[in-house]
Amino acid sequence: MLCIVSCCESDHPPPPVPDPAEKWEVQLRKGSLELAILAALWSGPLYGLEILRNLESGSDLVVVEGTVYPLLTRLRTLGLVDSEWVESDSGHPRKYYRLTDAGRSRALAMTRIWARFSASMSSLLAPLHTADSAVPAISRQPVVTEKP
Amino acid sequence: MTIPAESQKTVDVYLATLRKQLRDLMEEDVRDIVEEIHAHILDKTSATDSPEAVAATLAALGSAPQLAMRYRTDELLQRAQLSRSPGLVFRSIVRWATLSVGGMIVFMLSGIGYCIGGVIFVMGLLKAFFPKRAGLNIDYDTGHHFLSAGFGAGSGPHTGHDPIGLWLIPICLVLGTGILYLTFRLSAWTLRLFTRPRRMAAAVTVEE
Repeated sequence: MLCIVSCCESDHPPPPVPDPAEKWEVQLRKGSLELAILAALWSGPLYGLEILRNLESGSDLVVVEGTVYPLLTRLRTLGLVDSEWVESDSGHPRKYYRLTDAGRSRALAMTRIWARFSASMSSLLAPLHTADSAVPAISRQPVVTEKP
Repeated sequence: MTIPAESQKTVDVYLATLRKQLRDLMEEDVRDIVEEIHAHILDKTSATDSPEAVAATLAALGSAPQLAMRYRTDELLQRAQLSRSPGLVFRSIVRWATLSVGGMIVFMLSGIGYCIGGVIFVMGLLKAFFPKRAGLNIDYDTGHHFLSAGFGAGSGPHTGHDPIGLWLIPICLVLGTGILYLTFRLSAWTLRLFTRPRRMAAAVTVEE
């Protein structure tokens, strides 16, 4: 009873329950971030902020900035990328990352897996695409959630 | 390009907190991480030079303890996977337990394993020092046999029958050591097998 009273008296609405589809999308994005970073470095060395901008411009992977740097450190520990401090015109040195041979091999292997998986899923999901096209477009808009 | 004076202190506090939170890592790695984050802040704020830009950049990085935790979790699990140190493996499992239900289960199972192994090993030692009072004991009471284990506590010797005698010492030492070693190996194996996806989840947060 006490709980019911206190809930009724509260001015704050209960926090929204996350949509399971959204949670699944977040997990999917998380799983693909390693490949996305390796792909961003495929064309040449980049420093952290360039990698972030590359991910934002080249995909809709909008990554929280504080998560990329620990991941880059992990990739370096695994020997997939190499890093080097380079003096810049901006007045401070920047840490550039580049793919190692192992990183290139890993990126190619992951790309092959991604392509195979994506193709098999696409054929499986073809009937759902047909059904989804019949749904009004407004209901297919992605839900925008506020970032804490 | 310099950071506005009023924001410089905020940045300094952020970096100092980050450095402090990373104290478990090697000094060279800490310096590298802090310098990289500092460079990121300078790059992000170079265009606008406003205190709001600095605040937004720090907010996007997450709090210094959060950022440090991502580095430390990854580093700790990585070291534990290559390590033969039971302490490091156990600390990593404790950290893992704070991240997932799976980690919590492994933590509890390894805790049980370490406890059982430890108790058996200690019983072997106590039997060596208190041969009359420590060890297994069979009592016959009201028509039933009772098997009990004593750890040397109490004022006098057991009244029942000790079925193993001093053989308990090598048996307990070997069995306890074996269980402790097996628990350690299984913990380390589980850590290697299951923490890679978890490390990703801990280290990576994608904006929703």
